[in-house]
Parts: sequence; structure tokens; C-alpha cells
Amino acid sequence: MLRLPAAATAFVLVALCAYWLAGLVGAHDKLAALEPPPTARADYRITLAFAPERFHQVLLQEKGRLVEVRGNTVFMKDVDPRALRSIARNYWVESIARWSGK
Amino acid sequence: MTPQATLSLPLLRPRLRRRMGVTARGIAGVLLLLAVWQISVPLVGLGPYFYPAPSDVWLAFVDLVRKGILPVYLADSVMRYLVGLVAGAGLGIAFGVLIGMSRKASLALSPLFKFMFAIVEVAWIPIFVVWFGYGIETIVLALIYVVFFPVLYNTLLGVRTAPQILVNAVRSLGATRFQVLRLVILPAALPGIITGLRLGAGFAFRGLVFAEMVAAKTGIGYLIFEGAQAQQTSRTIVGMIVMGLLWLAIDQFYLRPIERATIQRWGLTVDAAERG
Repeated sequence: MLRLPAAATAFVLVALCAYWLAGLVGAHDKLAALEPPPTARADYRITLAFAPERFHQVLLQEKGRLVEVRGNTVFMKDVDPRALRSIARNYWVESIARWSGK
Repeated sequence: MTPQATLSLPLLRPRLRRRMGVTARGIAGVLLLLAVWQISVPLVGLGPYFYPAPSDVWLAFVDLVRKGILPVYLADSVMRYLVGLVAGAGLGIAFGVLIGMSRKASLALSPLFKFMFAIVEVAWIPIFVVWFGYGIETIVLALIYVVFFPVLYNTLLGVRTAPQILVNAVRSLGATRFQVLRLVILPAALPGIITGLRLGAGFAFRGLVFAEMVAAKTGIGYLIFEGAQAQQTSRTIVGMIVMGLLWLAIDQFYLRPIERATIQRWGLTVDAAERG
């Protein structure tokens, strides 16, 4: 009788798990290039696949100090490793690189 | 093939065929609307700001997904909706049972609820914004307010129309007040509660869009509002379509099956729910 709601809920949960896992794998790949691995607050250059909109800027601002936006790249200061991992989980983040802060 | 399967197949086929026919007609209707819309765009001759084509709306949808905006807004809206619906329904059921079973509670609360019922949630939102600011609290409170009254009054109706003969029978067997509630009142009120929930769920959905337009910086309601503000009409239409599809999914996958199950369980006709 309630098979349909149960199936719909299961489908949504599986989709959410897949989304979460994809984000986790994506974050691992994006952060693997960073040498040495992030352990303390640092400055980063975050490149998106498009010019960031207000939505992305607000979201990034919550994770650190957004200093500048140039083209598709956002320059951020004082980003702690945990916040960096959560930024990297977003599929719209193309790459992350260290930034000298100048 | 087992004998059981052989027996059930002829029964299943016409039903399946009917259902597929309904779905096909629904899809054909949507496709026809899209075709008329697309053809009308060059005839109308207005720019995409005034009258975007379905292809523009599709591109806007793809863009919103690619940029990660739509998934976040959708998740925020669904989360607010669920929290508001569950909290509003819980309070509505609790107060409905309380007022239905206690004369003192009815005398004390009914006038207040009648007064509050007259004040639409739209009037409360600015006050909630002043008290709680822009964010989830304001939206959830507005949704609780919207869901509360239909659930309350339908629960009350269910409680008050519970067969007195059954209440007396259970009482004569020594049942406590709680047992009367659990064994007679709540089962009898269940169809009413479900009706209230369905109404509340629909009202909450409309309330969500409005609340997000006024008091949020994310969500599908905000997308609709922001799109219009930023002259991105295609995005506004994407928001409207997502809202409609979301409601269809909630109705089709949750509300209707739950309503049907309740109606069947309590021996009422199933035709209305099937037809609905």
C-alpha cells in the first residue's frame, strides 16, 4: 500500500548518497594536487568553470575571506582545511591552488 | 509462469494499459503546450526578457544546474517545507485532539484560534522577519502557521465525529482516557487528519514560495523572485516549473498513496482517491 512512498524515499536517499560520495571523490581529486596537504589556514585560488555569481561568492565568503574575483577565479585568504574540503566538494569548483596572497 | 501470475495478468493488463494511456495523454498535453509556446515566440516578437522560449528556459535550467545553484535552492526549499509541514501537522493534530476531547481546552482555545485563522500568514511574515530575521526560522514559522489550521480543524472534525457508541463500549470495558484516544478516537479521526494534511501540504507549498520571496536568500521562491529582479525571466520560469514538478512528485509519491491507504484501511470508498 505504501510501497510507492517507501520507494520514492529510498530513491531520494540513494541519489543523495551518490551525490555526497561524488562530492567526496571530487574533493579528494582536487585537493590531491596541493603540496603540502592543507593542515592550517592558508590562502587559495579557487577556479570555477564559469564566472562566479552572487550565489557562489556568498557561499565562498562563509568559508573564508574572499579578496578578489578575476574572471573565473576567486582569491581567498584564511581558509581553514575543513572549509577548503567543503569548498572542494562542490562539483562546480574546477580546481584549487595555493595563492601567495599578493 | 506460476498459476498466480497467470491469474493476475489479465487483471493487471487493462489497469496498466489505462494507466499508460493516462500518462501518454498527459505527456502529449505538455508537448503540445511546449510546441505552441515555441512557435508563438517569433510570432509575438518580444525579447527573451519579456517572453522567453522553452529553449531559453531549458538553457537557463542547464545553466542553474551546472552552476550548482538549483540543487542547493531545491534542497533548501524541500528542507524548509518538510520541517514546516511536520511541525505544523504535529501541532495541528495535538491541538485538534486536545480541543476535541476537552471542553475546557475548547472554551479556552477556540476563540483564539478562530481569531488567528483570520490573519493570513502573509500578514505575519513581516513580523517574523522583525523577530527572527531573514532565514529558516521565519520561513518555517510561516509554514507551521499555514499547515496548523487545516490540520487542526480536520482533526477536530474527526475527533468529534468518532462514533460515541465505540467510545462508550471501550470505556465500559475499563479503558483509560489514553486508551480511548489510542483505540477509538485517533483511528476514527485518521481520515480527517489525512485530509487536513493534504490541504495543509498544499497550502504550505504556496506559503513556501511567498515566504522565500520575502524572507530568504536561497530557495526556489527566492529564485523566482531573484530571476524577475535581475531580468532573467527564464530563471523565474525554471523556478516556477521546478515548483510545479516538485508538488506533482510530492502529491503523486506521498500524499495520494497515503490518502488511498488511509481510505482503504478505514473502509471508505477508494474510487474518489483513484479518480482524483
